[in-house]
Amino acid sequence: MGEGAAYGYEMTKRLRARGLSTVGEGSIYPLLGRLERDGLVETRRAASNGGPPRKYYSLSPEGERVLEAGVKEWQATRDAVDGALGLVKVEVGP
Amino acid sequence: VSEFVDECRREWRRLGVPDPIANEMAADLKADIEEAEAEGGSAEDVLGNSVFEPQRFAASWAGARGVIAAVPPDCSGNSGGRRVVLPVVLTAFAAFLALVAFALLVGHRSASAAVSVRRILGGPISVRPFGRGSVSPPSRMFVFGTQFGGPRNWPLILVAGFLILAGLVALAVAILYWSPWSRRGAQALARAPGRTKWWKWPDR
Repeated sequence: MGEGAAYGYEMTKRLRARGLSTVGEGSIYPLLGRLERDGLVETRRAASNGGPPRKYYSLSPEGERVLEAGVKEWQATRDAVDGALGLVKVEVGP
Repeated sequence: VSEFVDECRREWRRLGVPDPIANEMAADLKADIEEAEAEGGSAEDVLGNSVFEPQRFAASWAGARGVIAAVPPDCSGNSGGRRVVLPVVLTAFAAFLALVAFALLVGHRSASAAVSVRRILGGPISVRPFGRGSVSPPSRMFVFGTQFGGPRNWPLILVAGFLILAGLVALAVAILYWSPWSRRGAQALARAPGRTKWWKWPDR
């Protein structure tokens, strides 16, 4: 969503293009609903390319703040795990 | 598409989702599925396995949006709690009937046997179904076995037979309700393209 506003199926396609197809299947609608309820996304209804009007989701200011914090937290976790796996690699390596 | 969306609408109505919100969700869902189909895909590309569980999907979405008070445990109307409780109750009922029938029959047979043994040995005697009776010599026990028939209480046997029959019917209903031939199994079968048997899914 950080790339720009998107509607439900468009987001599913974005996730699938990044190898996250299982996230998009069916669970994207409840997930977007939860984000909307928590005020982390803003919605607007607009016409899509030749199709019916769609509900577009984009990050709200609060959503951007939460995303930034979440990304930092994820990177810290990833670095910690990578560090631990690096030690394992050194220990079991040739 | 319309069948799936209609099922969702019914579930939202059942859960008390306001009409404008239900209409909005239905329109978004329909547009997304139609777009997937126009691209050569299917509803499954949009919904995954949820395509086989419209009620559950609808309840989950509405619950996440906070447009209903809470998602009930039995959000599909035919699965979850009710799907487990009803067969358990029916099975327990069947077991209870069988137990009563068994007790009636054993009680009747013991009474008949007591009468028979009393006739052979003379004097008062008590016989318990599975316990040790007061008949001591083993040879007399043989007599006990051969004389087991005795005078029969047909109304009692009829009642016991009826109870056993009712128990069997309850057990059969429980098994049928739990089996894949039930409504949920039939629904999944009806919505799975290319699926001809409930135990066989189409190759992807």
